[in-house]
Amino acid sequence: MKMAIAWGCLIPTRRSLIGYEAATRKILDDLDVEIADVPNETCCAPFWMQSLDITTSLAMAARNLAKAEEMGLDLLTPCSGCFHSYKRVNYVLQNYPEVHERIDRILSKAGLNYEGKVESKHLVDFLFTDIGLDEIKKHISVDLSGLEIGLRYGCHMLKPHELLNIEYSERPVFADLILELMGITSKSYIGRYRCCGGLLRGIQDELADRILHERLVDAYNANLDALVTVCSLCHLQHDMGQRIIKRKYGMDNLEIPVIHYPQLLALGFGHSPEEIGLKYHTIPTEKFIQKAMKVGGV
Amino acid sequence: MMEKPDVQPYRGDFPVTDEEINLNFKYEVSNHFGGEGLLRCLKCGACSGGCPVGSVIDYRPRRVLGKVLLGLKEEVLSGQSIWLCAACFTCEERCVQEVNFTDVITILRNLASKEGHAAQGYLQMAKTVIANGRVSKATTHVGKLREKLGLPPLQEPNMEQLQQIVHASGFIDILQYNKDGELEE
Repeated sequence: MKMAIAWGCLIPTRRSLIGYEAATRKILDDLDVEIADVPNETCCAPFWMQSLDITTSLAMAARNLAKAEEMGLDLLTPCSGCFHSYKRVNYVLQNYPEVHERIDRILSKAGLNYEGKVESKHLVDFLFTDIGLDEIKKHISVDLSGLEIGLRYGCHMLKPHELLNIEYSERPVFADLILELMGITSKSYIGRYRCCGGLLRGIQDELADRILHERLVDAYNANLDALVTVCSLCHLQHDMGQRIIKRKYGMDNLEIPVIHYPQLLALGFGHSPEEIGLKYHTIPTEKFIQKAMKVGGV
Repeated sequence: MMEKPDVQPYRGDFPVTDEEINLNFKYEVSNHFGGEGLLRCLKCGACSGGCPVGSVIDYRPRRVLGKVLLGLKEEVLSGQSIWLCAACFTCEERCVQEVNFTDVITILRNLASKEGHAAQGYLQMAKTVIANGRVSKATTHVGKLREKLGLPPLQEPNMEQLQQIVHASGFIDILQYNKDGELEE
């Protein structure tokens, strides 16, 4: 199977996020999925940019889709924000002909053309729907039974479901099922499906802190070995933001490692923590790594 | 168990006078693509019930919708409330009338941006994208770490196409409508 891939802005450029890319490349290679980077990818102009002007934003997202279309491939992305943007482009093109024309005109000024033929897939949904549990199971070499994590799906991979065409969006289980193949216990806890406030960072920092505080209190009370995030913004909030919350709200014992979803799979596939950038996160991951190594018998 | 953050008390800002009402405002919003659902709103409050922002401050999507339907254009477009949504889409998912509040918020923010009321934080991010092609700048430090992990070197974003798009779409004008709109070098 071959897919074009758009990594987004944050994942390839942030210290704590490059592990997401490293782990994704490893597991896709293991699963025999060939990927080709969208050439000279530009920002997908997600929700915050849509807030300033949605037509511009859709045209910016369509640029990367046009490149994938030239390659004759469907588009995979590990970034939930990108996924949302790309899905919205196709949705708007199909449902609003006059906006379709406007976007065509903008793209033609940049020498681009997008017919709307590229299907966008979120990495995690792709693993579940296109690869499947049986195939993933074949690649698991390390049993991680005993690890108790809190999985955060984030918002933009799931909602709204009529736009994203993904499994039921408020209480999903598909990503938990994959982790359970490795023996991991994905704990159900209050607040795990709720928003982290990431999009308010930079415009309403006080609010972003308050919402994140709620989420971290939820996670703290759930007694987790780690939080596992799908969305890069969730990761920035919970990992980098955790320091802010610790100081601001005097939560001295707060130190929950925040792991990227594909990193956990990569561990199960037998890759080492060093290979997948687990040591570059803001909140130390040593304790989590030690426990994973112990239960995994590596 | 640790304590939850304080919730701010409710503060009303009524009554409203006739002069503040623009009867056409709701149609201005509902005629924009994505805004069709606005006129279906029953003000049931399901949106407010699921709102993560509403659980930490006195913010209620239903109130924003109420103000739009009432026609308080000036207050809505120049005020803070439309910039408080965290875009989690929970309300959009739960709304039985398919009002699509989050999409309505996008339209309101677009209208506000044209009037020079865009959130400064988002404007800064847009300027970073227009100058660099990405919302976060690549550093040599991260470049070295990428090398260590065996990742390919970062690609250069196609700045020419990006520039052509933001000029052709009129986005550069939106930056001008908002003070401090000059581009980053």
